[in-house]
Amino acid sequence: MMRFRLEKRPEPSKLMLYGTPVAAVVLTMILGCLLFSAIGYNGLRAVQEIFFTPLTNPYKWQDLGIKAAPLIIIGTGLSVAYRANVWNIGAEGQYIIGALAATGVALFTWGMSGWWILPLMAIAGMVGGMAYASIPAFLKTRLNVNEILTSLMLTYASVQVIYYLIRGPWKDPMGIGFPQSRLFSEAARLPNIIPGTIVHLGVPIAVIVALIAWFVMSKTVFGYRMRVVGAAPHAARYGGFSENKTIWLAMLVSGGLAGLAGMLEVAGPFQRMVPGFPTNYGFTAIIVAFLGRLNPLGVIVAGVVLAITFVGGQVAQTTIGLPDEATGIFQAMMLFLLLAGDILVRYRIRRISPEASAGAA
Amino acid sequence: MPNRLELTGITKQFPGVLANDHVSFAVKPGEIHALLGENGAGKSTLVKMIYGIMQPDAGEIRWNGEPVVVANPKAARKLGIGMVFQHFSLFEALTVLENIALGMDAKIPSRELESRIRAVMETYGLALDPHRTVATLSVGERQRIEIVRALLLDPQLLIMDEPTSVLTPQEVEQLFTVLRTLAAEGCSILYISHKLHEIKALCDTATILRGGKLVDTCDPKQETSRSMAEKMIGTGLKDIVKAEGGAFGPPKLVVNRLSTIKTGHFDVAVDDVSFTVRAGEILGVAGVAGNGQNALLDALSGELIGDDREAITIDGFGIGMMNTTQRRKQGLCAVPEERNGHAAVGDFSLSDNSVLTARDRLGMVVLGLINSGAAKTYTGKVIADFAVKALGPASTAGSLSGGNLQKYIMGREILQKPSVLVVSQPTWGVDAGAAAAIHQALVDLAAAGSAIVVISQDLDELRALCDTLAVINMGRLSATRPVKDFSVEEIGLLMGGVHGSMETA
Repeated sequence: MMRFRLEKRPEPSKLMLYGTPVAAVVLTMILGCLLFSAIGYNGLRAVQEIFFTPLTNPYKWQDLGIKAAPLIIIGTGLSVAYRANVWNIGAEGQYIIGALAATGVALFTWGMSGWWILPLMAIAGMVGGMAYASIPAFLKTRLNVNEILTSLMLTYASVQVIYYLIRGPWKDPMGIGFPQSRLFSEAARLPNIIPGTIVHLGVPIAVIVALIAWFVMSKTVFGYRMRVVGAAPHAARYGGFSENKTIWLAMLVSGGLAGLAGMLEVAGPFQRMVPGFPTNYGFTAIIVAFLGRLNPLGVIVAGVVLAITFVGGQVAQTTIGLPDEATGIFQAMMLFLLLAGDILVRYRIRRISPEASAGAA
Repeated sequence: MPNRLELTGITKQFPGVLANDHVSFAVKPGEIHALLGENGAGKSTLVKMIYGIMQPDAGEIRWNGEPVVVANPKAARKLGIGMVFQHFSLFEALTVLENIALGMDAKIPSRELESRIRAVMETYGLALDPHRTVATLSVGERQRIEIVRALLLDPQLLIMDEPTSVLTPQEVEQLFTVLRTLAAEGCSILYISHKLHEIKALCDTATILRGGKLVDTCDPKQETSRSMAEKMIGTGLKDIVKAEGGAFGPPKLVVNRLSTIKTGHFDVAVDDVSFTVRAGEILGVAGVAGNGQNALLDALSGELIGDDREAITIDGFGIGMMNTTQRRKQGLCAVPEERNGHAAVGDFSLSDNSVLTARDRLGMVVLGLINSGAAKTYTGKVIADFAVKALGPASTAGSLSGGNLQKYIMGREILQKPSVLVVSQPTWGVDAGAAAAIHQALVDLAAAGSAIVVISQDLDELRALCDTLAVINMGRLSATRPVKDFSVEEIGLLMGGVHGSMETA
């Protein structure tokens, strides 16, 4: 009988560190193909439509850009927090509250014009996201309440805030009873950067945010703090980095960026607040952060990969009638396989030959 | 009469290291046989193979003349091999009796077991109440549980792995009495240690390992401690060069009625500790592990922040409420006992580890940006000055051996030229050559006018290194006196908690 055992590597493997995300994506395709074949779909077509059509069809590229932008911005914030072992799972809620804060500015300035409206909305979005993220930060640092639970549960509360506002105080007066806000004025809508497409200003902003985050994480004391707290909390304390301050910083950065993504999304593609605004970008960004190895540059790539599955999922719905949930299944499978494969970064599989151990015994 | 245990050509290969290379030696019945060597010399691997925890790749083990295969520890116990590990496997919340019952291979009714335990304790003079909870016992008493557990099986060979590293001198003496009684009855003892004077006092034969190879088998009574140490490390030993009769400067570090709050259930807090260290002075803090040393270090380094600014002062300036970063800026550096994960980050490069504690004192940060060039240069200097075996500043701390990592950490703090340095176990697990280098660096730092506090369990180290000494027991510190005024017996009594004579003295 062949036996295997896991053996700790002397140093974490660089090959595996960057190889596992790729392997996870490839394995997801293979397993997804088998799974959808088994339940009666054309598995090969499903994988092709989800993973390749968005890339081969230039008409879909603009969709990729605008789907990837919020994923990259939120994923960047989460990668910073997760580096410090601060598990903000509620980016979706911070994204929603950020979007609502920006909506508030847009409605308050409705009918006005001026260059300052969009920056003001962006600041409101970030402050909204930060404020919402500071609830779990406060509960964690003061009462030691697990931030995973509080940040997650606050997401569901934030959805109710949307429903309340757009049915009540922010309801569109011209909306013939539809629960939605009024359409933002021109000055509160993100400009398109490529004429004739739907690609808005948020796309380059996402890339810039990730690049700045990469610089901050690798070159500054702030980034060092996040990395050392995550790698060895005891050593961080010895090095003079207080744990509570780190939790606050991590929650504020990830919440603020989620709020910024919410502002860009509501001022870009939506241009008004609607009940369907929450589209789980905040949750998908968790996968983006991990698939990108918690490295902002990796997050850019991972954001595009996840955007492909979103766009491809829609393609597959119309072409081969795959259910809407297929996208979620593929995304979850990817995260699952990635986390499972991660053990190979620190450990390697060794075969124990039975003859050798019998001979020695 | 055949040898009790005979090893021939035992070889064990691990990925990257040859842990044992054709090791052969024999233990006679009733002999106390020392297995001597530096950390990493292959002692532990060798006894693990004798006790069946590992299997040799090549070579033969003979037991009372017969070749045997020791498949696992249960088989070893069946043969009559008992082992007392350095780290005890005891459940703190259970009683002595329950702990022993859990470790037995056969199910024995608890009343019968108790009477057998009492008989063993009677025979060997091991005083212990079987119904006490382990959490209430001292380390020496806990070790007695492990010894009783092994003796219940009537072993013909007892393996003791570094048994005295946590004992007071009096407890060591009691242990030796037990071991001599056992040997007189014909039980062989394989005694693993690197404490040479103990081996001279106790053992009949010593087998010395270095780098996995057998270097020599000798009679320790015919050797000097120095000659055995030189066989162990393979080169001549350097003595600490200390300027004689140097007067100390003014008080530098003054600790006044420092107390900490107990953080965990089994933690020991610092209780009303006061002492003074002058410029140029090395103060040793002796004590058995777990008597508040960690809390003392954390309270001094700033990892535990107190509520009295004046409880700790440097040159009269109160730092008691500062965090570690502020204290470093005031000139106080510290090295905790645990290297990996506390004093250094295993996953980080050495360069990044230098940023951890040296960033402010050596200007590695400008406007929030890390000057990685400065960190690299400084790390290179630490590696060169302290002879750290590493590929370079980019090697991860986790890839270094324990001793090399310790050299790096000590170098990182010493080269910052702190005016006060507090270190815990500076040479723990470090080979003798490196330990001598670290000691010399500490002496030189003191000679340059720094005040140094060395917290250690190694009395030999403290007596060789320190000018003054105090003993910590249950979080309380004895009065400080010149190290020459202490006898070993007195230190031992203080370690065991006899304070009365000191306080009146």
